[in-house]
Amino acid sequence: MSFKSIVFSAMALSISASAAANTLNVYTYDSFASDWGPGPKIKENFEAQCECDLNFVALDSSVGILSRVQLEGSESEADVLLGLDLNVMEAAKKTGLLAKHTVDTSDVTTPGGWSDDYFVPFDQGYFAFIYNSEALANPPKSLKDVVENQNLRVIYQDPRTSTPGLGLLLWMKSVYGEDAPKAWETLSRHTVTVSKGWYDGYSLFLKGEADVVLSYTTSPAYHIVAEGEDKYKAAPASEGFYPQVEVAAMLKNAPNKALAEQFMAFILQPGFQNTVATGNWMYPVTKNIDALPEAFTSQPKPTKVLTLPASEVADNRTEWVNEWLDATTR
Amino acid sequence: MLARAYLRPAWIGLAVYLFIAAAAVAALLSYATPMSWGQYVDDPYIWRVIRFSLWQALLSALISIVIAIPVASCLFHRRFIGRQALLNLFAISMVVPTIVAILGIVVVYGRSGWASSLMGEAFPLYGLVGILIAHVFFNMPLAVRMILQTYSLVPDSQWRLASQLGLSRTQAFRLIEWNYIKKSLPGLFLLIFMLCFSSFAVVLTLGGGPRSSTLEVAIYQALRFEFDLSKASYLSLLQILICTTVALCVYRLSPYVRQDISVFEGVRVPLKSTRWNSLCDISVMMLALLWVIPPFVAIFTPIFSELFWQTLFVPAVWVSVWHSLRIALPAGVLALVVAMSIASLARAVKWRAQVDKWANRFEQLGNLVLMVPGLVLATGLFIVFRELGIGISNAYWIVVWVNAMMALPFVLRAIMPTLYQQERRYRHLYDQYGIVGSARLMLEWQSCRSALAQGLAYAVLLSLGDLGVVALFGSENLVTLPMYLFQLVGSYRIEQGACVAVVLIILCLMLFLLINRGLGGRRAIV
Repeated sequence: MSFKSIVFSAMALSISASAAANTLNVYTYDSFASDWGPGPKIKENFEAQCECDLNFVALDSSVGILSRVQLEGSESEADVLLGLDLNVMEAAKKTGLLAKHTVDTSDVTTPGGWSDDYFVPFDQGYFAFIYNSEALANPPKSLKDVVENQNLRVIYQDPRTSTPGLGLLLWMKSVYGEDAPKAWETLSRHTVTVSKGWYDGYSLFLKGEADVVLSYTTSPAYHIVAEGEDKYKAAPASEGFYPQVEVAAMLKNAPNKALAEQFMAFILQPGFQNTVATGNWMYPVTKNIDALPEAFTSQPKPTKVLTLPASEVADNRTEWVNEWLDATTR
Repeated sequence: MLARAYLRPAWIGLAVYLFIAAAAVAALLSYATPMSWGQYVDDPYIWRVIRFSLWQALLSALISIVIAIPVASCLFHRRFIGRQALLNLFAISMVVPTIVAILGIVVVYGRSGWASSLMGEAFPLYGLVGILIAHVFFNMPLAVRMILQTYSLVPDSQWRLASQLGLSRTQAFRLIEWNYIKKSLPGLFLLIFMLCFSSFAVVLTLGGGPRSSTLEVAIYQALRFEFDLSKASYLSLLQILICTTVALCVYRLSPYVRQDISVFEGVRVPLKSTRWNSLCDISVMMLALLWVIPPFVAIFTPIFSELFWQTLFVPAVWVSVWHSLRIALPAGVLALVVAMSIASLARAVKWRAQVDKWANRFEQLGNLVLMVPGLVLATGLFIVFRELGIGISNAYWIVVWVNAMMALPFVLRAIMPTLYQQERRYRHLYDQYGIVGSARLMLEWQSCRSALAQGLAYAVLLSLGDLGVVALFGSENLVTLPMYLFQLVGSYRIEQGACVAVVLIILCLMLFLLINRGLGGRRAIV
């Protein structure tokens, strides 16, 4: 293929994609929409039943999804936002850009059940530090071990730009409370780097740049299923794990409202939920689906789950982020 | 004088430029709630960021200049094989896309890079060290070329006298060169200081976390992740304030510079060079070469790998080449048009009683944009577009305009000396025969084309390498080559990124040569 023909076919593609009348635009984060994420499978399953085009717009992080629609305001072409999480829900509601959904969420299996007018959860998991059991003889047993062991090289994500990073912020807060700044300072002394997103940090860890990295309890399942590798393990946390629930919402000014509603309902159906475990490497949120691979069921289930009330998170998030910034840059 | 009919197009160019810049800043400020700014004043993090921004900008500017002075002196006095090639390399390293240079620097100094394997332990790249390495890489060559320009101000008679008196290089430097160089230093310092103060991609990639952050990165954070327009306005005003203060201080301290640059190379008179001078020349040239060349070599190494040839067949690469070109070429032309508008106005009043001072003011208008972060311009323009009811699909035009504006100071620097010189030599003829407007351009074309080509080439290459503005609108319909590269590097697919970097730098070299030779003609100063 000549250079010219590649360029023109690409142009033609981009024009046809935006010109299609019956298109659902879903804003999501990059790894969800990537070839190795659940995006392509979901697109296929949904398009089979809706007779439409499902167009994923991949943004560089989950927090980026929200700021992008805020920038676009009422002019936005987005129908559905997919990939916000529990802890930015309040902030997202305050923008006034979201519409209420009509989906029945009574069967959702998140801790404490689900009732929210705006958001539908699509997967869940628990934050955990991952280590290489062949390289690390004495893995940490608790969050305190991770924070205080000065020989442990740690990588975690920036709470301003990444939802795992924000998760760790809340995890630290629920374990340390008032003493969190001091704990951050202790941790910062043996931190290799604070990465912008989950993928950056995790790749650095796999290259051997750190002993532990902030990720999810389900990350080892990825290595077992996709690579047949069982040396990566999630460190236990005796204080309890902090959960993440990823959510979707539709927009008030969605150009294609009917399709958006149809997609919101589709999120809790098997066509979506079956792709979550081995696509996004998280637990599904409903029960009426295929059995999970053994790698998932063999992971230790958290005995204790910590959560801060959503309103407290919303009120104090900025303050806590500043606390973190202040403690780690001192 | 300025009201003449033939200057009207120039006024239009200037007005459009000023209007767009003002509208963008005003739009962002309209979302500011100064009542809430009190909380930022007490925020220790912002003060730490400001302190770090100032500190790294000061260090970058000083190191660049301290190395550049002896290098320039050596390049002026000595002729050796590869001198012209080195000057060309310096011209290119000024405009090499930031992301590509960063990649080269990571390959040389990264955790598993050349420096680490030579030293046997990990080189501490991430943080201040990495930022300084990158900033000096970009700005030392710029300083060398600008100092070399001031050498052309030295009258030939002074060199002849120095030669007759048997002055050594050291004495000549102290008695002659330094008097000219020191006049250009304040402006040079200010330019490099401002470029580094508002550095973005370098700090984001090599800073290694929140500890080393600049105000520009904080503005990016506020816009991209917090979507706090009020905070972004506060930070941008702070940035503008700091830059203005620094500029005023520097100009207050600097002596008056008489603009009389001759762009014709004079006669070179050899001076006595002591062993000490030779030693100095050799060591400082080695330092400069070691700083600039390894990253370039590192950038080109993937060309021998199989992955590089596979990369050439990835459609996404060519799509991003196309997006890059359709942004960079119009942006370059726009920048040149606006710069020529400013230049026409400035030369019309230069050396005329009473209005002479306006010439400098016009030039400063063009440089004003150095103080305003590109992201602020971009977001402001976006808000203006939104208010007018034009959607995100027009992000393209915003990127083009903002890139054109950001390149303006560099274009002005490239074209002003030549245009002033034309004015000085032919003003009376023009006045006598009433030659104005485009007729002048036709007459001057042969003597100006090389400078104009250089200006256009700078603007095109700077826009081609832009990452700040396009990153704000990052959408899959507007992934430029640097953006694509940033995505690859950001996800640590360094090897594939390295191959894309080769494509990008070859594209840059081709455009640079094409514009300079094609438009600039045979006498092109590359």
